[in-house]
Amino acid sequence: MSKEAKMKDKVHIKPFNIINGILFVIVCLIILVPIWKVLVDSLDLRTAYGMKLIPEKFGFDGYISVFTNKTLYRPLIVSLLTTVAGTFLGLTISTLGAYVLIQWEMPGRNFFANFLLFTMIFSGGMIPTYLVMKSLHLTNSLLGVILLPALSVYNLVLMRNFFEGIPQSLFEAATLDGCTPMATFFRVVLPLSKAALASIGLMFAVSYWNDYTNYKLYITNDQLYNFQMKLRSIVLGSDLPSANGGATENTVRNAAVITAILPFMILYPFLQKYFVKGVNIGAVKE
Amino acid sequence: MKKKNVNNSVAVRKVPLSARIYKYRWFYLMFLPVLIFGILFYYMPMLGVLLSFTKYNGIKDPTFVGMDNFERMFSMPKFWEAFWNTLELSIIKLLLNTGMAVILSLLLNEIINLKLKKLAQTIIYLPHFMSWVVTASVWGMILSPTSEGLVNTFLISIGVLEKGSEVYFLGSVKWWRFAYYVINIWKDTGWGTIIFMATLSGINPELYEAAAIDGAGRWKKMRYVTFPALLNTIITVLILNLAKVMNLFESVFVLQNDAVVSTAQVLQTYIYAQTFNGSGIPNYGYSTAVGLFRSLVGCALVLVCNYLSKKVREGRGIV
Repeated sequence: MSKEAKMKDKVHIKPFNIINGILFVIVCLIILVPIWKVLVDSLDLRTAYGMKLIPEKFGFDGYISVFTNKTLYRPLIVSLLTTVAGTFLGLTISTLGAYVLIQWEMPGRNFFANFLLFTMIFSGGMIPTYLVMKSLHLTNSLLGVILLPALSVYNLVLMRNFFEGIPQSLFEAATLDGCTPMATFFRVVLPLSKAALASIGLMFAVSYWNDYTNYKLYITNDQLYNFQMKLRSIVLGSDLPSANGGATENTVRNAAVITAILPFMILYPFLQKYFVKGVNIGAVKE
Repeated sequence: MKKKNVNNSVAVRKVPLSARIYKYRWFYLMFLPVLIFGILFYYMPMLGVLLSFTKYNGIKDPTFVGMDNFERMFSMPKFWEAFWNTLELSIIKLLLNTGMAVILSLLLNEIINLKLKKLAQTIIYLPHFMSWVVTASVWGMILSPTSEGLVNTFLISIGVLEKGSEVYFLGSVKWWRFAYYVINIWKDTGWGTIIFMATLSGINPELYEAAAIDGAGRWKKMRYVTFPALLNTIITVLILNLAKVMNLFESVFVLQNDAVVSTAQVLQTYIYAQTFNGSGIPNYGYSTAVGLFRSLVGCALVLVCNYLSKKVREGRGIV
């Protein structure tokens, strides 16, 4: 029956499918055109702009200007360092916290859950946080921008949702085998949670790599800028690397934007499924 | 530890509290990092809201001034402007993004060619991962009124605009909001489809077969089977995001400029500008007061949304 119905459907709705397909090609083009335009301009040495699909005078001089510019090395290293350190720290805190939150019989467990819950309802706000950071001597220090976002209650709850899916019997078996809570954590919980570690780890990594607000608030020393801060000042034109060879200022500016997204664009197709998984763990239960 | 009896609550209760705490001693240690980070970065700033009742410039000790900061705040037209802007920008953005994501998911679900579907999903998720700085850079160039601005060049070439009358979309009070919504739709609609696609894949195929037997065509199936199934998810997404409307900051901050402050200033950017961009000595007391007001409105929204969520989602709250 269903096969017949499907056949009938297929014959019946062909025009719809074609229109729908074309529609999605258009949607994808709308998404890609802005990025494509930046890519084309970053490889074009001509100053005449307008609508063009390929560079008129192809050349890598824009990228050479970006990569031979020593003032960009530091921001790149800062971005890389804070992303790696922050992701590691964020994952450590979230997994430990989430592991504690699934100990339903533990005295004080509800207090801990409420301790986290309250932070989602009320916050001190921008200025009190700034003053706390200042009094802890965490302004103008990379430690500050690593530590502050490391406790993400949302990510911790995602992790807990995932841990809840681990069968209780595995914990009991581990305890019976004489595993201490720590050993259970390392031998049972973590190995079973690779997918969750990947997706939540990636969420941390993206937010550290893309962090702009925290740097804007807590870092005034331009020696400690990350790539986003540097890119912002390049694009606003106050800090443009000197154009090299045939590159124009605009070429350099576009090349800098592409440099900021390139590492992610290369990795993204391989990582996509983990990102999607992260959203779906969150959707199961908030 | 030897006798494993966690499922029997009566047996558990017989164990004295101190023994139970001792049993979980390692877990308390494991929670310590969360406690420390929570106290330092969430709870200490909460205590800091007391500054809103003081005059404080960061140098001299705070002096108590009662409700002065709040009186000043409520008498400031700029504050009210920022408050209404926050509500308008984030609520319209939320409705537009969600609506677009629903439409896109419904259509995405109808794509028969699986390869095209996968490719389309990969592409539409992409902008979500670009930072706001990158997004603002890309769109700043696309919308620029100079010859590098793609949109203006295009509009001139099809004859909508005349050469010399280019529109500075991000620099004009008339166009800024429109540009802001477009950029947000571009960035987050694709990502928003994930949650709806998950719901759609969970719909029982038998429902479609039953509808087909009853003679329902594509549109009727969409209307009477797919859409009702999505409705719960749509409400959930709206409620969850409504709770966050007061948090609007980075997206506005990187797209605004001095020319459009009247339409583009939101509470968070107002606080930032009051504290860090103003000439002279910052008045932390006043900006904390604005922040406290923002937090309280946000808090009320979370509680209302939580109540609504419990009603709609069979007892599941959002927090």
